[in-house]
This record gives sequence, C-alpha cells and structure tokens, in this order.
Amino acid sequence: MKYIKIYSACVKTAFSQAAAYRADFIMGSFITLLSNILFPLVTILIYANGAEFPGWDMWEVLLIQSVYSMSTGISSMLLSSVVWVTMDHIRGGSFETVLLKPVSPLFFIMASNFDVQSIGLFLGGVIMAVIAAVHTGIGGLMDVVAFLLLFVAGLLVLCGMNLMMAAISFKWVGNSRIPEIFDSISTFGKYPLTIFPRAVQILSVLIIPVAVIGFFPASALLGRVDGKAFLSLIPCVLFLCLGIWLYNKMIRLYEGVGG
Amino acid sequence: MAIITVEDLVKSYKTYKRGSGFKETMKSFVKREEVEIKAVDHISFQIEKGSICGILGPNGAGKSTTIKMLCGALYPTSGKIDVMGFSPAKDRMKYVHQIGAVFGQKSQLIWDIPPVDSFAMNKAIYGIPDADYKKRLSEMAELFDIGEVMHKPTRVLSLGERMKCEFVMAMLHNPEIVFLDEPTIGLDVIAKAKIREVVSEMNRNGTTFILTTHDLEDVEQLAREVIVINHGKKVFDDNLQNLKSALGNKKIVNLSLAKPFKGEKVGDALVIPGSNDHEISLEVDLDKQNIRDFLDSLGGVLDFKDISIKELPMETIITRIYSE
Amino acid sequence: MKKLKHILEECKAVAFVTYKEWSAYRTHSLVSVFVGPVYFIVQYFIWTAVYGDMGSLAGLELSETIRYFGASALIGYLTMDFADWNLQMLIRTGKFLTFTLRPMHHRFFALSQKIGHRVLGFFFEFLPCLLIFMLLFKVEIWPQQFGWTLLSVALAFLMNFYVNYCLGMTAFFLVKASGIRVVYQLFAQIFSGALIPLNFFPQILQKVMIFLPFQYTNYIPAMVWTGSEKIGVLGLSVPQAVLCQAAATLFMFLFSEVLYRCAMKQFTAVGA
Repeated sequence: MKYIKIYSACVKTAFSQAAAYRADFIMGSFITLLSNILFPLVTILIYANGAEFPGWDMWEVLLIQSVYSMSTGISSMLLSSVVWVTMDHIRGGSFETVLLKPVSPLFFIMASNFDVQSIGLFLGGVIMAVIAAVHTGIGGLMDVVAFLLLFVAGLLVLCGMNLMMAAISFKWVGNSRIPEIFDSISTFGKYPLTIFPRAVQILSVLIIPVAVIGFFPASALLGRVDGKAFLSLIPCVLFLCLGIWLYNKMIRLYEGVGG
Repeated sequence: MAIITVEDLVKSYKTYKRGSGFKETMKSFVKREEVEIKAVDHISFQIEKGSICGILGPNGAGKSTTIKMLCGALYPTSGKIDVMGFSPAKDRMKYVHQIGAVFGQKSQLIWDIPPVDSFAMNKAIYGIPDADYKKRLSEMAELFDIGEVMHKPTRVLSLGERMKCEFVMAMLHNPEIVFLDEPTIGLDVIAKAKIREVVSEMNRNGTTFILTTHDLEDVEQLAREVIVINHGKKVFDDNLQNLKSALGNKKIVNLSLAKPFKGEKVGDALVIPGSNDHEISLEVDLDKQNIRDFLDSLGGVLDFKDISIKELPMETIITRIYSE
Repeated sequence: MKKLKHILEECKAVAFVTYKEWSAYRTHSLVSVFVGPVYFIVQYFIWTAVYGDMGSLAGLELSETIRYFGASALIGYLTMDFADWNLQMLIRTGKFLTFTLRPMHHRFFALSQKIGHRVLGFFFEFLPCLLIFMLLFKVEIWPQQFGWTLLSVALAFLMNFYVNYCLGMTAFFLVKASGIRVVYQLFAQIFSGALIPLNFFPQILQKVMIFLPFQYTNYIPAMVWTGSEKIGVLGLSVPQAVLCQAAATLFMFLFSEVLYRCAMKQFTAVGA
C-alpha cells in the first residue's frame, strides 16, 4: 500500500515535470512516435515489392510489430530507467544515495524515474495495432484473454531483460551501449517466429523468451496460437526471477565493496 | 615599450527586449525592440612588455569581453587593438602562436588521458621543435612540481594539479604574452600560492601576463599595473601602489555583538551597520592605526562574541574608485 | 612542403591522442562485436524467408541483399562519428573559445579526432565483425572491387563528418539545436539505406534522395562494396556512383565552409 502511494506520487511529479517543459515533451513524444514508423516501414516496403513473409500477410506482420511496440513502450515507460539510472549512479559513485532511501532500491529507481515521453511509443503502437487489427480481424473473447495473458508475460521478459542489463552495468562500468545488446536480441520477437530455423525458435521461446514480447500475443489475437504457447509462460516467469535475483545480488555485492 | 596598445575600444551587442507575460511575448514575435548593450565602452590603455597587469572588475563589468578581444576571439565593434604589431582578431592564426591563454573555467586538457599526452598534441599543433619541447617541458614540470602528476589521467587529478597542467599546456610554445582569466578560481590556498609563485617566476624570465580576477589577493601579490573596469568603462589605470594609496590601506573587521552598539565610530574606525543590531562591521584604516593596537583596544569598548577580519571587498573598492 | 608536413604532424598528434583517450573504452566496442552479428543473423533469416523462391527483389538477388547488409554494418563502423554532439557541447559550454586560441582550424581538429576514433573502431569493431562474417558465417563479404570500395568508404567517411559537423554548427545559431539533430538522425536512419536498400523505395523517392545527403553515407558505398552493376534508380556503374559521391562530398565540404564562416562571424561578434 505504501509502495502504491509512493509510486503514484512519483508518477504525478513526472507528469507535472513534463507539463512544465511542454514544448520539449511534445517534441520528444513526436520524435519517438515518428521513429516508431521506421520499423513497420521495412515490412511495408517488402510487401510493396511483391514479396512476403511466408504464411503471413502484411497486416498480420504489422500487428506483431505494433504489439511489440506497445510492449516496449510500456517497458521503457516503467523500466528502462533502471538501466540508465543504475549506470549513472555506478559511474558517478553515487549509488549510496539510492541505498539510503527507506524503500527497496529497485522500486525507488523505478518509481522516481517514470519516463513520460515513452507514452509516444506506446500510443504509436496502439494506433498501429488497431489499424492492423481492423484489416486482419481478431478472434473471439478467449483469444483476447489469451492475448492479454501473453502480453503481460512479454512485459515480464522485458522487465527481466532490463534488470539483467542494469546488473551488468555494475560490472561493466560506464558502458552506455549495454542496452544495445538487449535491443539486438529482442529483434527476434518482432518477426513471425516461423521464418526462423528450429534452433532459433527454441532459443527465443524457451531460453530468452523474446518471442513472447511481440509474436505470441499478436498471434493469440489472430487466433493462430495453440495451447503449447502458454508453456512459454514458465520461462518468462523464470526469466524475470533471474533478472531480479541478479540485480539484487549485484546490489549486495556493491554494498559489500562500497563501489 | 608597450606590448599592447588599446585605443578607444568599443564592443556592443544588440539584443532584443523580451517582455514578460503572454501579451508582451506575443508582441515580441511580431516586432522586437532592439536594445544595444555596450559591454566595453571606449576603453584605452597600454601595457608594458614584461609587466603583469591585472584587470579587475565585478561580474559582468566587461573584463571578460576585453580579454576575449585581446585574445582575438572577439571582433571589436570599433577602436584599435595592437598586440606586438598584430591586430588580434584579423591576424588570428598568426597571432595565436605568440600568446597563451588559461581560462579558469574552460579546460584545454583531455579528460581521460594524462596531461602529458595533451601536451604532446599541442606540440604538434603549435609546431614546437622536439628539442625545445623537451627542454621546456622539463623546466616547467620542475617549476610547477608536476613531474609525476602529469603522467596520471587528468580525471584523477585535483583541481589544483589540473590547473597547474593547464598553465603548462598554455605556455609550452613559449608565448610572449599569457592571458589568465580567473586562474585561481576555486583553488585552495596552497595551490593558489604555487601558481602565483610560478607566474612571478615566468614573469622574471620576460613573459608578460594579463590577468582578470575578482580575487584581490591575486592582484596584490602579482600585479604591478592595475586596470579597473566597471560598466564597460575604465575607472582606474595605474600601478598597484597608487591604487592602494587612493583607497587607503584598510581592513574590515566583522563582529557579532553580545549587546547592540549604537555609535558611528569605534576609535578611529568607521562603523558600517550590518543586517541586524548584533552584526556590525568596522573599517579600520591601517595608515592611522596598527591593527594589533586596534584589536587590543576593541575588547574594552565592545562586547563581542565572534570576530573576523577581511580585505576590503571588491564591490566597495569599485564604488570608491567610481565615486572619486 | 614544410606546411604539408606540419599538417600531417598535427593530424597524427590529434588522432593519436583521441585514440588513446578512447582506448579506455575499447571494451565497449565489444558490444558491437556482439550486436553487429546478431542483427546480421536476423537480416539473414528475414531476407532468406522473404525471397523464398524469388530470384530477385527490387533488382537485387538474395546473396546481394545479404552482402549488402553486411557491408552496410561494416561501413557504419568505419564511418560513424559524434562530430555533431562534440561540437555542440563545445559551443554550449563555451569551450569552443579555447579552440579559437589555437593555431588550428577546429574542423580539421575534429576530423583528426574522428580519424583517431575510427582507427580504434577499425581494430575493435570492424575487423572482428569482418572476420565473424567471413569465417563464421561464411559470407562472401570481401569487396568485389577493392580500390573503388576503399575510395567510396573514404568518401562516406568524409561525407558523414561534414554533415555531422554542419549539424553541430547549428548550435552557434540556435539555443536548442538538439531537435534538429534528432530529426536529421531519424531521416538518416530511414534514407541512408542502413534499414533497407533504397531499391525497395518508390522510384520517385529514390530520385529525390539523389539530391539529399543521406544515401551517400551508407547506401552508395554499401552498393559499391557489394559490387552491384546497377546502383540506385539511375543504374549507375561503380565508378559513376563513386563520382557522384565525390561531388556530394565536395558540395558538403563547401557548404560546411560557408556555414563555418557565418558561424565565426557570429561567434566573433557575439562570443556565443
């Protein structure tokens, strides 16, 4: 309860800050929204040139990619700060200031760095998803429920990823390029899983479950997913747990050495 | 022989008046009112070769603008600058070979590598011959006592050490004139003393120094010539001795009193009222009485809890000069 | 002759110092060694699937497209820079002043810095990735026409630098120059060809692109590297494409010179 109060207070502050720098905020959101267009562009160009991802029409692929955008939009609103803020604190040797707060360090960083601007990313994803869904049509109520379930699972994966990256930054001090690693791996979740060879499919479902970020929820919405997809919920939860464990372990190590 | 001659120097900026409030702001979109600001207003002076000249003035007085024009980084609006036969802004590329500059707030060293690597880069930029470079670097390293320091990455150095290295960086090419803009800002007492010592030493070898500062001690210990600028105008230009005698040799004694004191004088010292009844300052004229005698007598007249003694603040000096 | 030697000395010294400065972060480039190949694998699978049984798409064969993406990534490692960011930082913090007091043109200083920085990139990003592409992935990535490719990449190196330097100079005139940079980077991402070969764009857009700087930093050199016989919408041969690049680079150089002079006028008048 206390945590919810703190969180809502922090989010309010973030919004009023964004409102104070309105022009910056609008500009920033606009740019994130524009850069959102980048990635469907490749798909659209591929289909415009008469080619296709075998077994998927253009709107279906766009739906996968817009669900992916929604997912990463939420994650960068809520979570991406963990990587940046941890990194800055470690480099500046000021992580102690976080440890001084009477709440969980992980929670504190997340709450105090709510990124309002990523709303652009999320909304862009939603708009695209709606347009795509109008063209593809969606399955029944059960499919929507399945979509929501898998979508949340995708968020867990992103959360785990962010935490792992933040944990790495404890050791790999000052490397601002760490998030690129994570961006590159999650690219596999932006495309129909079926185009990848069997080994990659297994890897991206069971080991690093990036397929759950975009592909699975979108295909659930299309009614194209079978029961086995829900098995991937297990690795998702495990992945998140691994992230939390790793991050907390790094904090304990840091406390021991004192940076 | 004058190494720098400045005649009738003017630097003015045009800015636009910005209104506050919505209506005014909207109006300024359509029609903006031009305002001319004279940062430097008809200043003339000469600086002798081999001297150390202090340019003094409060913040925003125009001393930075003046020094930037002397360095060639700013074009004068009108007037003439002649430094060793160069017109700084026009002959910039040739001219900058002859000068060095240290800006207290703007580092020229490269953050992640040892200063000695930055020095080597400047060697190439200024085209310093190998033999000269080696000789000069070892001389300066000894003078500043940075033999070891300069091999450590800049980011781990203390501010004082870094500033010493800035000096070396600016003087490796053996400039005739060195400009120092707030060179001791933020430094501790020991580092300040070291830098002043070296400046005096280099000066004895013939280098001319121009420094701007608002640390009066820098001026007292280094400068022989002093130029005071306020509101873009030159208000004083003479040697330090005359500045002192014009002002008198004075100290400020700040007191926290146990009981309020109402009076205009304590002995010969003038009372300057403070922020409340319990805080007062006394202006002691050292030509009239010894500070020790004054302090001895003070306890008998006033009941005070705390005491501190300071130099006359810059603002007071400027206003005094200005009013004379 | 003596002057030339001095210029070379200057360039070498600045490049060396920059190399040393960035060496501290050389392990960071290892990120590229991971990320580059991962993106390449993704592209490989995407395009293999997309081509299916089709012999060619938008005038490119599958093997060409795959080599294109490899070359495009490698060219990125050889030509990227932060000239825009560096310059606008110097201007915003007022440190640019210290450069006007040195007897070296700042643009040349920045170019030398880029050389040093990219030498580091050559060893820690380009070479490992090239080896991974060639030995591990067995892609025939080695340029078809080595001489032309070298020239083309060198021109892209300069082109990218002059463009970024100009972007940095906008900070002399505008208080908030970051917006312009972000918008430029966005367009550059789409139209430089790093995302998808420009062949896939509608003809009309491809024609417009001829007159914009983007394609000369990545698409054209990548096509030259691939050894394509018909480059772009005009179907240029390799030498013709390189010539176009040279013209664009020369234009960009002249533009940066004009902008620099204006900027200096502004700087020496106002002292930004």
